[in-house]
Amino acid sequence: MDGVIADASLAPAGERKIDWAQTYMPVLNLVRERLVEDGSVRGRRIAVILPVEPKTAYLSAMLAEAGAEVSLAFQGVMVADDVAAGLAARGVAVFAKAGSTHEEELSFFEQVLARRPEVVIDDRADVIRLAHTTHPQVLETLVGASEETTSGVTALRAMEADGTLKVPCIAANDARCKYLFDNRYGSGQSTVMALLDRTNLLMAGKRFVLVGYGWVGKGIARRARGVGARVVVCEVDPFAALEAYHDGFEVLPVEQACADADFVMTATGVRGALPLAAIERLPDGAVLGNAGGIDDEFDMVALRERAVEARTAREHVEEFVLPSGRSIFVVGEGVVVNLSAGEGHPAEIMDLTFAVQALSARYLLQHGRELEPRVHLLPAEIDEQIARMKLETLGLEIGALTEEQERFRRSWEAFA
Amino acid sequence: MREVLERSRIADPSLAEAGEQRIAWVARHAPVLNRLARERLADGALAGRRVAVVLHLEAKTAYLATILADAGATVVAAGSNPGSTQDAVCAALVRRGIEVHAVHDAPPDEFDADLLAVAATGPELVVDDGAELTRRMLDHRPEAFARLQGVAEETTTGVRRLRAIDAAGKLGFPAILSNDAWSKHLYDNRYGTGQTAIGAILRLTNLAAAGRNVCVIGYGFVGKGVARYAEGAGARVTVVEVDPVPALEAHMDGHRVAAAADALPDADVVITATGIVESLGAAHFELLKDRVLLANAGHHDREIDVPALERLAGPGEEVRPGVTRYTLPDGRRLHVLVSGHLVNIAGADGHPVEIMDLSFSVQALAVHLLAQGTLAPGLHRLPPELDREIARTKLATLGVELDDLSPTQREFTTQWTA
Repeated sequence: MDGVIADASLAPAGERKIDWAQTYMPVLNLVRERLVEDGSVRGRRIAVILPVEPKTAYLSAMLAEAGAEVSLAFQGVMVADDVAAGLAARGVAVFAKAGSTHEEELSFFEQVLARRPEVVIDDRADVIRLAHTTHPQVLETLVGASEETTSGVTALRAMEADGTLKVPCIAANDARCKYLFDNRYGSGQSTVMALLDRTNLLMAGKRFVLVGYGWVGKGIARRARGVGARVVVCEVDPFAALEAYHDGFEVLPVEQACADADFVMTATGVRGALPLAAIERLPDGAVLGNAGGIDDEFDMVALRERAVEARTAREHVEEFVLPSGRSIFVVGEGVVVNLSAGEGHPAEIMDLTFAVQALSARYLLQHGRELEPRVHLLPAEIDEQIARMKLETLGLEIGALTEEQERFRRSWEAFA
Repeated sequence: MREVLERSRIADPSLAEAGEQRIAWVARHAPVLNRLARERLADGALAGRRVAVVLHLEAKTAYLATILADAGATVVAAGSNPGSTQDAVCAALVRRGIEVHAVHDAPPDEFDADLLAVAATGPELVVDDGAELTRRMLDHRPEAFARLQGVAEETTTGVRRLRAIDAAGKLGFPAILSNDAWSKHLYDNRYGTGQTAIGAILRLTNLAAAGRNVCVIGYGFVGKGVARYAEGAGARVTVVEVDPVPALEAHMDGHRVAAAADALPDADVVITATGIVESLGAAHFELLKDRVLLANAGHHDREIDVPALERLAGPGEEVRPGVTRYTLPDGRRLHVLVSGHLVNIAGADGHPVEIMDLSFSVQALAVHLLAQGTLAPGLHRLPPELDREIARTKLATLGVELDDLSPTQREFTTQWTA
């Protein structure tokens, strides 16, 4: 098997982690059975561009076990070497190792593209963008792509708007089975836990400033409140700000909110969402991290330049001493904190997300040639099937509309 | 330093730098110890006194030991539980000139030997956890026990043991039940254990809390905290109790209350918080569903009866670091976290720093009071004025000011006439 990984001997530990995730991903197990039976991915080339951790590994492994030729690459800051080794042992071509350089990463992506994937499961549209700019020959054989994140979907829509997009893309992120659960409960729990875990600090009574109140922000606000924080939301969108207000959170402009923050998290998907001026207003000892899809939601480069001193305070926690003499602690290098300083989303949540991805890949392989080169949603009936499978594996039953109710819903006449 | 190292038993002195980094982080987040405790202990009452510190040996405890040593005490430290001992922190303590007898994951006989080595140094004062040193000295080193001048006890379980020693008429020295101070049990047992136990379970498993059925056995201060944080993480909580009063509290707090037979069959996670052995024992394993997670947030390593589980299921298999799978004859898989040790300490980094700032300020002031030799033999609370001083200092470090009663109000509170 081709690939570049750090250490193949780590495979047993990685395989155990993948097995554990698989135990708690019953929907993806059902999808695997279906793909094995219908042969829809057999012999097809699929590239997976996702952080290398146990859940993504199982998505890749189950596609391979259903007969696809799967290759995987990602940036080293989110690569678990044992999982990479375990995945290689399960028949996936893995190009990823922790701590890889930018040049290495570019070469990893190029090697994946050189395998001429028919479908790309992408993260932040990184590889789709590469294919449209520096590697156009890849587009000849690419049937379509499926995108994981809000920020990636935003980029794809921009490409569609200016006529650059050449292949159909499914906004997997915009499936209800994805964003309602992954972005909210997944990011919410794992972001707050990664912060607490890495700092060993208490959340009860702390001022927790959240920049951005999209689905990720909503989830984080809820979980931060659940561990006793007083949450302040900063927004630029009036609807999101009003939602935050009605959810019972204080709403403030970012520089004002930062003035007495204990924790600050960004969750915007926008570069420079937290300006250096706001960071400089933080009180001594404030803890800063990013939960959003963009690495530079706050300006790490500017912060590093501004700091008179920087040192490691704890594992995954870096201290920056500012000219004011105040120390700011950054968790996870400004990269999405639940993956850079934690193990990512819980397995049961990724069960839904990756069922969306696997069925998006299947849909593209079956229908991609008929689709316009635009951003598409996963068909609603597939989305709904996934939700029903999850309910079934949880042993939950739901009701159904009666014929009378169904008729009422379809009618338009007053007092029909 | 070499001399201290020779007297000590630790795993690896070369780990000191990593331990120092962790202690420095604690020092930064311990304003009450830094302000109040250092100030009070500077009066020389501890100078030259031999103090044994037997606690979960990680960075927060190490900082308490350092503060006692800085006040002039000769400090000897040992772990209260081998599972929670951090070798890097032990190395840093030795480098700071403190004698340490503790190695991570030491087997029971070595653990006993470490505690007896501490007893052999002839401590006058003990900061104890679960009365682990005090009861061993009573059993095995009666002469050293007779020379003890005071014990300050950290935990609910230890308080129970000291009460038993007192009831047997064997407590010849004053013991301060630090656990019973407001500044300790209201925060440490509830918010400290609550946040970190739930955090540890989620980290060890990488599973979601949302929608999960979490069963909490025991609704003391620890159980209350665990239930609250589980709820905050999105779980549905069921409480199992044997005492009707906390059971009713759990009900009023909005949790489902049920007997184990009703609560266990649909539990996805079971957390013990009782301080009592076999809270989850042979009779319960039959009730649990496939893939359940079992964790202990109480004091006692035997709250989950792992030996009984091994008799039913055979030896377990480690499926993730800190997660052992036991497969019952009918195929159900039960997952025990960190072998039934305290999940937040053996499976994570222990209580949050700021919480231990309060708890260890209680301990520091308790040791300081004991050193003055003014207390009669027997069980004592930390005097309320000291307890209040700790809370007031904490509030001051948060920039919070309090109101005072007006003279009329103050008068009202002392009136008894209709």
